[in-house]
Amino acid sequence: MELSELLQFAVAGLKNGSVYALVALGFTIVFASTGVINFAQGEFYMLGGMLSVFALQALGFPLVLAVVAGVLATTAIGVVFELLAIRPRKDGDPLALIIITVGGSILLQSLTRHALGPDELPFPAFTPGPSILVAGAAIERQTLWMWALTAAAVVALTVLYRRTAFGKAMRACAIDRDGARLMGVDTRMMVTASFGLAAMLGALAGIATTPLTQTAFNVGARVGLKGFAAAILGGLGNPVGAVIGGLLLGLIESLSVAFLSSTYKDVIALVVLLLVLFVRPQGILGRREREKV
Amino acid sequence: MRMRLGVVCVAVASLVVAGISGCAADGENGAGSAEEPIKIGAILSETGSYAGLGESEINAIQLEVDAINEAGGVNGREIQVIIEDDGTDEARAVAAATKLIDQDEVVAILGATGTGQTMAVRNEVRRAGIPLVSMAGGSVITDDFDPLVFQTPWPNRLVVPYILDVMAEQGWTEVALITDAGGYGKDGRDVILGAVDEAGATIVADETFNPGDTDMSAQLTKIRAAEPDAILMWTAGSEAVTIAKNRVQLGIDMPLVGGPGIARREFAEGAGGDAEGVILAAGKILLPETYGEDTEAYQVVTDFIGRYEERFGEQPDIFAGHAYDALHLTVEALKRLPAEFTSEALRDEIEATEGFVGMDGTFTFSADDHNGLTEDDLFTYRISGGDWVALDE
Repeated sequence: MELSELLQFAVAGLKNGSVYALVALGFTIVFASTGVINFAQGEFYMLGGMLSVFALQALGFPLVLAVVAGVLATTAIGVVFELLAIRPRKDGDPLALIIITVGGSILLQSLTRHALGPDELPFPAFTPGPSILVAGAAIERQTLWMWALTAAAVVALTVLYRRTAFGKAMRACAIDRDGARLMGVDTRMMVTASFGLAAMLGALAGIATTPLTQTAFNVGARVGLKGFAAAILGGLGNPVGAVIGGLLLGLIESLSVAFLSSTYKDVIALVVLLLVLFVRPQGILGRREREKV
Repeated sequence: MRMRLGVVCVAVASLVVAGISGCAADGENGAGSAEEPIKIGAILSETGSYAGLGESEINAIQLEVDAINEAGGVNGREIQVIIEDDGTDEARAVAAATKLIDQDEVVAILGATGTGQTMAVRNEVRRAGIPLVSMAGGSVITDDFDPLVFQTPWPNRLVVPYILDVMAEQGWTEVALITDAGGYGKDGRDVILGAVDEAGATIVADETFNPGDTDMSAQLTKIRAAEPDAILMWTAGSEAVTIAKNRVQLGIDMPLVGGPGIARREFAEGAGGDAEGVILAAGKILLPETYGEDTEAYQVVTDFIGRYEERFGEQPDIFAGHAYDALHLTVEALKRLPAEFTSEALRDEIEATEGFVGMDGTFTFSADDHNGLTEDDLFTYRISGGDWVALDE
């Protein structure tokens, strides 16, 4: 195999991987603050695309504004979802909350189908033009946008977590909820914020991908599944792990197309996931759960 | 796994129901006063991943039911089509069939939208002994023959040899395949692999993708390395757009060819300039002029297109056509029957359809052909300016 081809497979893998990474970050952020897997995460991805398309087509927003509106509206939906569905369940029973997120996922999908229709909708490329050739491998301009947005999200999250009091409070909440509350952190507020952040990241991934794929009311579930796998692979609750897990999952998929079979790429990716979990049950960067006696 | 579970569910459900109802199903269907409408069931994917198809089908059926009733109905009786949503789910399709058969006591069922759902409801249909007219394109629906099941779209076994011949005429014999791992694409791939030898073609690359995949550039990179004359893509999903876009971005200039699954506005327009030049085979509804303007088919098709546009503000797609045909094939058979008829007589009468001019072509059923279309009902298109034109135009 030529080097340029290998590079092309790597580009494809990292492109999908950056989407998985953003969705995985959403899973990880909510998990860190609540201990819950948010199965509505894929719907935030879907809403990001659908609402941006709606803003562009029906409301006539210019492209940049449509993207911003789509992402902000999805963020707001994430916050409202937490306030209406998660917060009322005061005991925070993880099992109940997970079922609530499953219900929320179905609800968001059905509402979107009835409000915006069942058809696939297109969105123009952020910056149209031919792809850029790097050592014989073609990189789409939209792919560069996807990478840039992923990188920006990671940098912004790092700054938020490390430099701001708000971010530190979120981290404190993730490390020890009761301890954080005793120190005066509004933990319920942190949970709401984590849903908003997760929705924002999902929406970013959704709208960055839409110019390449179109979007529809039902695109969330599969991407959600991949993002979930990536979050597990990287180590649930660890943001850096989520990004590494996402990129790795994308690469494994594209390399299995290159060297094995496109039919079994998902199977191969899942087998790798299982093998990693067999050796490191906590994921690549996850903290080992200590038995508390 | 999911399919197997579905099959088990169907099996269990039908066993249970068959046990309860015994042989009560074989009653008279036509009985009733002249005021009572004739009830026909329809199982369509209003939600779920085939919702885009189901919506067109529902539109077409509502439009045509109104038209038929305004024109006096069937032998003086109105028809009523009871539409059930299957959510693009086999188990829900079976539940819908049970409801239509046992509660509504319909004389026939139209649908389902998808191949999987159609196959799933066959047991229920068999139990009741009523005809099923499917709008799904999988070859298996009429290949795995059931005397009660009819099919309106062009099955893969009809389209695949046709498009392979078109490709051979262009001199494209080294073919790269990219197919959907889901039902329609898999059915198409099986038919293609069985038909290439006869068409004098060879498959130089055989790639698949899963429904919902967001990037095909890895598969296309592999295809490019195999240096085919053309790429044959078989899918009914929105992933076709991704393939068309990835292909252009990777600088792949070999022709991209497909079947009726991509004869959708969402593809021709949604892929923007990247669908330009894509070649596809589908029925003549996309370009009624190909029939010749003095033909009956031209009249029938343009009349439907005009009425559909007037009511829904958009052109009907091929799925609307499949639904039109399923409804009218059933209604035409009903018209030929006396006021009192049995399910068996209705089935026989549908099978006796000869030369019915519909949206997908001219249907002539026989005891072993329940699709009834021929290669004459197909046409080769090229996408140009987001629209369909004849290949050689």
